[in-house]
Amino acid sequence: MTALRPQNSILSFRTKLFVTIMIVVSAISALTLYIVENRATVNFERELKQEFQYGLAALHQSQQIRHAAILERCRALVKKSRIHAALEDNAIDLLYPSAREELRDVMENPQDSSSNAGLHGLSAKFYRFLDREGRVISPPTDIDIGQLSKTEESQLSLPHTPATPQLGYLGRDNPTEGDELYEVIAMPIVSSETGESIATLVLGFAPMNLDALANHPALRSGIDTNGRLYLTALSPSASAVLSNKISNTQSGPATRNSQRVEIDGTPYLFFHTILNPGSLFPAAYEISIYPLADFLFRQRELRWQVGGIGGLVLIGGFLISRFLATRLAKPVEELAFDSANNFALRQQAEAALETTNRELQRSMRFSADASHQLKTPVTVLRAGLEELLAEPHLSPRQCDELAALVHQTYRLSGVIEDLLLLSRMEAGRLAIDFSPVNLSHLIDGWLDDLGALPDPLALKAETDVPPNIYIAGEQRYVTLILQNLLENARKYNRQNGRIHIALRSDETQVVLTIGNTGRPIEPEAQEHIFERFHRGTAGENIPGYGLGLNLARELSRLHRGELRLVRSRDDWTEFEVKFCPSARPCLNKVS
Amino acid sequence: MLRSSLFVSISFLLIPLIGQAGATIEGHVDLPKAPTAAVMNQRYEVITNGGVVSINPPLAVVYLEGNFPATDTPKTEQMAQRNFTFLPAVLAIRTGTRVEFPNEDNAYHNIFSYSPPKRFDLGRYRTDERPVPSEVFDKPGLVTLRCDIHEHMRAIILVLDTPHFVLSDTAGNFRLTDLPPGRYTLKAWLNSKTTLEHAVEIQADSTLRSDFP
Repeated sequence: MTALRPQNSILSFRTKLFVTIMIVVSAISALTLYIVENRATVNFERELKQEFQYGLAALHQSQQIRHAAILERCRALVKKSRIHAALEDNAIDLLYPSAREELRDVMENPQDSSSNAGLHGLSAKFYRFLDREGRVISPPTDIDIGQLSKTEESQLSLPHTPATPQLGYLGRDNPTEGDELYEVIAMPIVSSETGESIATLVLGFAPMNLDALANHPALRSGIDTNGRLYLTALSPSASAVLSNKISNTQSGPATRNSQRVEIDGTPYLFFHTILNPGSLFPAAYEISIYPLADFLFRQRELRWQVGGIGGLVLIGGFLISRFLATRLAKPVEELAFDSANNFALRQQAEAALETTNRELQRSMRFSADASHQLKTPVTVLRAGLEELLAEPHLSPRQCDELAALVHQTYRLSGVIEDLLLLSRMEAGRLAIDFSPVNLSHLIDGWLDDLGALPDPLALKAETDVPPNIYIAGEQRYVTLILQNLLENARKYNRQNGRIHIALRSDETQVVLTIGNTGRPIEPEAQEHIFERFHRGTAGENIPGYGLGLNLARELSRLHRGELRLVRSRDDWTEFEVKFCPSARPCLNKVS
Repeated sequence: MLRSSLFVSISFLLIPLIGQAGATIEGHVDLPKAPTAAVMNQRYEVITNGGVVSINPPLAVVYLEGNFPATDTPKTEQMAQRNFTFLPAVLAIRTGTRVEFPNEDNAYHNIFSYSPPKRFDLGRYRTDERPVPSEVFDKPGLVTLRCDIHEHMRAIILVLDTPHFVLSDTAGNFRLTDLPPGRYTLKAWLNSKTTLEHAVEIQADSTLRSDFP
């Protein structure tokens, strides 16, 4: 089961990694391609528009130059004395005949079209004079001034005589050659004396061939005036669409901006600009359209290319992702495998630990239970023995026997107490209630007790103990440590031996040294002396049960101190206990 | 200078009448205000405003209208082109008078008129053109002369059907002499639209005072 799980998770990890890399690669490439495509399209469209704007600007410039040339000619014409004479000297009948002479080189000569080729568009097709009220002065029939129908002629009329030249457009229905459009310039004839306009000369010119001048073969230009669009070779429906578009846009401000317009299902770029702003003639708009079919085709092509590149990038991304996923997954797979093994081992170790722990707990509980169970019978036994000892009729031998038995019960109680204490310590249930303990005082007390005890070895006690050295600890357990060590120093001594007790303290620690004469501990036994129930060869004739040093060391450790054997050779054995001074801030309860 | 030449031409006109004792009409015409301020040595210029031909500074041509016996062919008058202007710019003549138009500038001029009483076109000619181009004005009325080449050049010839006429001075004073006695109409031409008139009865060898209006 453990072998199958990592296998599954490794597979899913590899898949996830692969999918993530693929998603990232796809997202980045899609975004990049989208931006590239978008920008390319935008740039393309902008370039196209700019090209048009430039083309149209060039067109308009040439138109403006032409207009300036025409206006200059007209200005010269309207100064002619004969025209003024005809108008001012009551000789209207001579107006058109005089003008014919004056305008001879302005009017297009149908017989001599070759000479006018260079002046294309600068030759007038017709001319008329308007009187002060802006009405057309009827021309005589016998002079060629350009044929116009009455309706067309009436369209040349103006509401009044203009003060400045006016530009207009006149559409003519020509059933044979298609509709024609003429550019009309109305030039006021100004009295040289008074400066007032006395009449108007209206000249009609063939408009510039916009298509021929545009540098785009597909660019088509026309003029919309009087609600009618003059754009060559345009279907009626297209004209209707464009006229509609123009009438919509005319309501707003005239712009040179391009728009898109759909004509017969084909999109066109559409420009319009007013040609004669502020003119007394009806407003005329120049309309330019450019089919976007080619542009859209190129755009589609670009899209396909971008799509193709995108596909290639995705395939490449797929392969790279697969490769990367496999490569990257390998160490992770190994790690996962190891981790699975480690997990199994850890589980085993944890299970073993748990078992050990349980056993330990059980044994500790046993120890504690046993101690408790033992204490009661021992107390009962001692009470019984003491009762017997109090009997008045006992022989001295019986008394000694009973006293020895009572003494043994005390020893048994001591062992039981120690065992209970050890088991509590091992169960971690022993808490030291730290408070300042006067160690000097405790040592002095013990020395007093020592003096009261029988002294078969005639020991001599030497002390180097400064008064009132306080340590952090619980008095009963510190006493226990002290008792064990001093008891050992007394027990394992020799005849006429001595005991040396020294205490010194600094800011970080208090060190108690207890040395005694006597047979030293065997070097090989020295490392075992702190083990429970260990008794050295020296103690064979000495009462004890091998718990004292073990207990003292455990207790000193609980006091955040340490007990160690300093040395044991050449008739001298020395132990050292370290305690924390009571002023130290580490005096927290140890749980 | 202008005035003296005017007087010279007027006195020439009056020469045939000097021998006869005649009546005189003196008077003053209220002239319209000058459209521009008077300038020393200013020439007369012809102004057409709203179809009305007038002279600036204002001037009146005063003449006596009636049935006068036909006399000899009137003397030929001259209207020169000098410094690109007509000189004089205003000329009053009797019907049938021939007017010569000598070109005194070192440039072409082309005198023409579209006025109904006399339409003519002398064509281009230079100062050495001989004979001097001329026209006979045989219909009374106002004739505006222009130069086809120089648009600003303008002059008028007032053709009158009477031998008795005079140009007022710029203040409007006039004096007609050597007039035969009888009942006539005294007219003062101010511009092409305005001619003032009133009837006069002239006694022989008398001086009549007649003011307009």
